[in-house]
Amino acid sequence: MPHALRTGCALALALITAAAPGLAAKKKSATAASRPGAEGSAPALSPAAFKVERHTMKNGLVVLTHEDHSVPTCTFWQWFKLGSRNERPGVTGISHYFEHMMFNGSKNVPPKEYDKILESSGGYSNAFTDRDMTAYYEDIASDRLDVVFRLDSDRMASLSLLPDQLKSEIEVVKEERRLRTDNDIAGMLDEQLYANAFLASPYRWPVVGWMGDLNRITREECVEYFRTYYAPNNCILVLTGDFDTPAALAKVESSFGAIPAQTPPAPPVDSEPEQRGERKAEVHYPAENVSFQVGYKAPSVASEDIYVLDVLSSILSDGESSRLHQALVYQQQIALDASTFYRTRLDPTLFEFYVEMKPGKTAAEGQAALDAVIDTLSRQGPSARELQKAKNLLEAAFVKSLKTNNGVGEQLGFYEHVFGDYNAMFRTVDRYRAVTAEDCRRVAQKVFVPLRRTVSVLVPDKEAGAEARP
Amino acid sequence: MISRWLTAAVLSAGLTSGPVLATPLRLPPTTRATLKNGLVVVVMPTHRLPLVDFRLVVRAGSVNDPVGKEGLAGLTAELLTQGAGARSARQIAEEIAFVGGTLSANAGTEQIVVTCEVLKKDFAVGLELLRDVTVHPTFPAEEFARKKDETLGEIASNKDDPATVANNALGPFLLGQSPLAHPTIGWEKSVDSLTREDVAEFHARHVHPENAMLAVVGDVEPSAVVAAMEKAFSGWSAGGTKPGDAYTPVPQARGRSLLIVDKPEVTQTQIRLACMGVPRNHPDYYPITVANTILGAGFTSRLVNEIRVVQGLTYSISSRFGMFRNAGTFRISTFTKNETIRKTIDETLTVVKALLEAGPSEEELEKAKRYLTGQFPLGLQAPDALAAQLLDIEFYGLDAKYVETYADRINAVTMTDCRRALKSYFCVDDLRILVVSNPEVAKKALEGLGPIEVQEPQ
Repeated sequence: MPHALRTGCALALALITAAAPGLAAKKKSATAASRPGAEGSAPALSPAAFKVERHTMKNGLVVLTHEDHSVPTCTFWQWFKLGSRNERPGVTGISHYFEHMMFNGSKNVPPKEYDKILESSGGYSNAFTDRDMTAYYEDIASDRLDVVFRLDSDRMASLSLLPDQLKSEIEVVKEERRLRTDNDIAGMLDEQLYANAFLASPYRWPVVGWMGDLNRITREECVEYFRTYYAPNNCILVLTGDFDTPAALAKVESSFGAIPAQTPPAPPVDSEPEQRGERKAEVHYPAENVSFQVGYKAPSVASEDIYVLDVLSSILSDGESSRLHQALVYQQQIALDASTFYRTRLDPTLFEFYVEMKPGKTAAEGQAALDAVIDTLSRQGPSARELQKAKNLLEAAFVKSLKTNNGVGEQLGFYEHVFGDYNAMFRTVDRYRAVTAEDCRRVAQKVFVPLRRTVSVLVPDKEAGAEARP
Repeated sequence: MISRWLTAAVLSAGLTSGPVLATPLRLPPTTRATLKNGLVVVVMPTHRLPLVDFRLVVRAGSVNDPVGKEGLAGLTAELLTQGAGARSARQIAEEIAFVGGTLSANAGTEQIVVTCEVLKKDFAVGLELLRDVTVHPTFPAEEFARKKDETLGEIASNKDDPATVANNALGPFLLGQSPLAHPTIGWEKSVDSLTREDVAEFHARHVHPENAMLAVVGDVEPSAVVAAMEKAFSGWSAGGTKPGDAYTPVPQARGRSLLIVDKPEVTQTQIRLACMGVPRNHPDYYPITVANTILGAGFTSRLVNEIRVVQGLTYSISSRFGMFRNAGTFRISTFTKNETIRKTIDETLTVVKALLEAGPSEEELEKAKRYLTGQFPLGLQAPDALAAQLLDIEFYGLDAKYVETYADRINAVTMTDCRRALKSYFCVDDLRILVVSNPEVAKKALEGLGPIEVQEPQ
C-alpha cells in the first residue's frame, strides 16, 4: 500500500472542518418523502443543538463537557498544551517520552497499576504527541468514570519518574523511532523535510526526537519538564458521552481541584527567517519506487487563509476525482499515490505534498507533473462545481468526525487548544462556505511559491542505509 | 503525530462486551429481510448523526483465486468502482465526492466488501452507486490495464515495508499451497498473467444476490429501506449455484522451522511466530478470546508486560487468532532492534510456555473478562462499525443474539475453559518462526532454533 503521510489519527485531524450549522438548510428533494432516509435533514450541529459547557477551575484547569446518552460509555480527553515545539535542542523527543512515562507510575499508582486498573474496569486508553500538543484519552463505561478521574489526577499531581521505568521506557521509545522513522521511507522523508524547511522554528526537529537526544535525556530534565508543563493551568479536560454534567464537574473538582497551578511556561520562540530559495534533501536508501515530499511554507492558525488552504487541499487530493489523482495517477499514470497534508498549527508550518511514483518513473517526472497541477490551479482557480464539491466533502468529513464520543472529544480539545476557543469549531463550516474561487487563486499564488518550498526525495540506492550490514 | 501504542494490537483483540456497564448495551432493533432475488438485507436505524452507511458483502475473496491467478479477487474488487452502468470511473468518483460521500470496494481473504457512506439526504445517490458498482460493473479495458499496472506497482512498493514483507511471506510459510496462503494483492507473476476476461468471469461467477448480504445502518426508517432495496436490486437475478468454501483446513506441521526474509538494510527486525488456529464459528471461541487477551491482547497482557514494559525490547507485541469460515491461524507479531532478535524470541517463547503450563491467575482471568466486555460497546458506536458487526453475524453464521449475549458468554468462561483453550489451540513447540532482517545477522541469532531457510521479499 502507498504510505500515508502520518498516522490514521493525523489524517482524521487533517480533515477537521467545522460544525455544520447549515447542514439542515440543504434543500430537500421534491421526492424526498418517498425516499427512505431522506425525510428531512437531522438537526444540524449548531451550538444550540450541540451543547457544550466550559468551566475554568481556580487552578486554571479548563473543563469542556458534552453529554450524549446514545451508548453507556464516556471518553475523557486531557489535552496538555505542550508538544515538540516546547522542546529545545538536546532534549528533542522529551514530550513524546513523557507521553509514555505518564502511564509509568505516580504517587498512589505504582508502575503497571495504571493500565491494570483501567483494563480491569473495561477501559481503553491511548495518547498521541504532535508538534503542538500531547493528548491522552480513556474510553470507559459510564459507571467507571471515577476510575479515570482518580488515575489521571494522581499522575497530574505527582508523576513518579522512577529511574527503572525511565530506563526501560526510553528503549521502547527508541524502538518506536526505528519503526516509524529509521526503517520507514515516508518517515525518513518527513523528518528530512521539516529539518531542512525550518532553520529556527522548533518545528524543525522530529516529534519522536533525534536518536542522540533519546540517548542522553536525564531524569533531572524530565522532572523540570513535568513541573513546568504538566500543570493544571496548561491543560484542557474534555468529557463526552453518558454522564450527568453537574455530578461529573463536582468529581473533576474534587479530583483535580487541589493540584496547584504553576507559573505559565514562556511561549516557544519562532524566529524563522523568510525562505528565499528552494531547498532540497536527498535520502539514499534501498527502495523499489521513487517517492518524494514537497513542503511549502504555510500560515499558522492566526491567518484566515487556513480555511482556503483546507479547501485547496481537498480540491488537490481528496478522492479519485481530485486534481492530483486525476493528473498523476489516472491520466499520466506515473504515480501510485499523490496526496496532500495540511493541518492548522500554532506556528507557521508546511503545506505538504507526498508522491509515490510507479516503478521506473523518476522524481523529476513527478515534480514536473505536480508543478503543472499546482500552476494551473493557482492561475485559473477551481471551477464552481469543484469548489462546491470540496465544501461538501469538508462538511461531511466534519459530521463523520463526530461518530463516537472519542471523536467529539478530539474535535473539542483540538479547537479549544489550537484556536483558543472550542466555538471556533462551530464557525468553520461557515468559513469554508464563504471561500470563493478567487480566494483559492489568491492563496494558492501566495503559498505555492517555488522559492519558499523544500523537497525531500528518496533516491533508491541498494548500497545505502545498511549500517547493520556486516 | 505519534501515539503511545499501535491500535492494531487492540483491534486484533476482537470485539467483545461486559459486566461493568452502567446500563446494558441496548442497540436499536434490527430488521432482517430476504429480497425476492435472495439478497439478505439487515437494517438498523441510528439517529445520532445524519449519516447512512451501506455495506455489501459477497461470499468470495482471495480464497477463490484460481491457482496461478492469485490477486484476481482483489483486482476484480478494485475495478468495481472503475466503470459501472452508464458511468465512467471518473463520473463515479466525481458523483460520490460531490455529495461528500465515500464509496469503496475491496477484497479480503473470504469477502468482497463494497461500502458507501453518505449524508442522509444523499441516500438515493449512495444506493444507486453502490448498486451499480456491485451489479453492473463494466470493466473497461483501459481501466483494467491501468489498475493492473498500479497493482504491480503496489506489489513492488510493499517490498519496501518490512511489516508488509513479513505478513505476506508468513502466509505461504505457514499455509503452504492452501488458497488461504497468498496475500489478496497476489504475486507479481500471477497478477501479470491476469486478463480482463478473468475479471469479468470472476464477477459473473461469484457476485450473485444469493451469495451476498447487505447492511444499511444510520438515520433511516427500516421498512422504507427494505422497500427501496427490493426496488433497487430487482434487476439483479439469482444465478448459478452458491459456491461452497473453496478450501479445507490445513494440518498443523510438527516441530519448528524458520524463515529469514532477506532485507539487509533494516536496523529493526520484524518477527512473526505462527501456527494453525481455529475457524471463526468455533465452540471454544469465547475461551480462546479470553485466553488470547491474557497472553497478548490489551496493554496488561503477559507479552506486552514482559517484552515491552519490563524488558523494553519492543514498541509493540501482540498475539491474535485470524479466524476464517473454515480454518484459522494463530500468530504473535513483534519487532526489535537487530541486536536483540534472539532475546526477544526466547523471552516470548518463555512467556507463552509459562502461561500454557501454569495457566493464568484468577485475577488475570477476571481482568481479561472485564477488559473484553468493556471494549465491546466502545466498538459499536459508529454506524459503519455496526454494519460490519451485523454482517459478521450473517457471514460466519453466528448466534442472532451475538451482540446481546456477548458479555454473558465472556463472563461464563471459567478457569477450566481458559486452561483448556490454552492447551488445545495455542502453540509453542510446533511453530513457524519468520524474521525480516539482514540474513547474516539473523542466521547467527537464530542458531539452534530449527532448520532455517532464506528467501527474497516476494
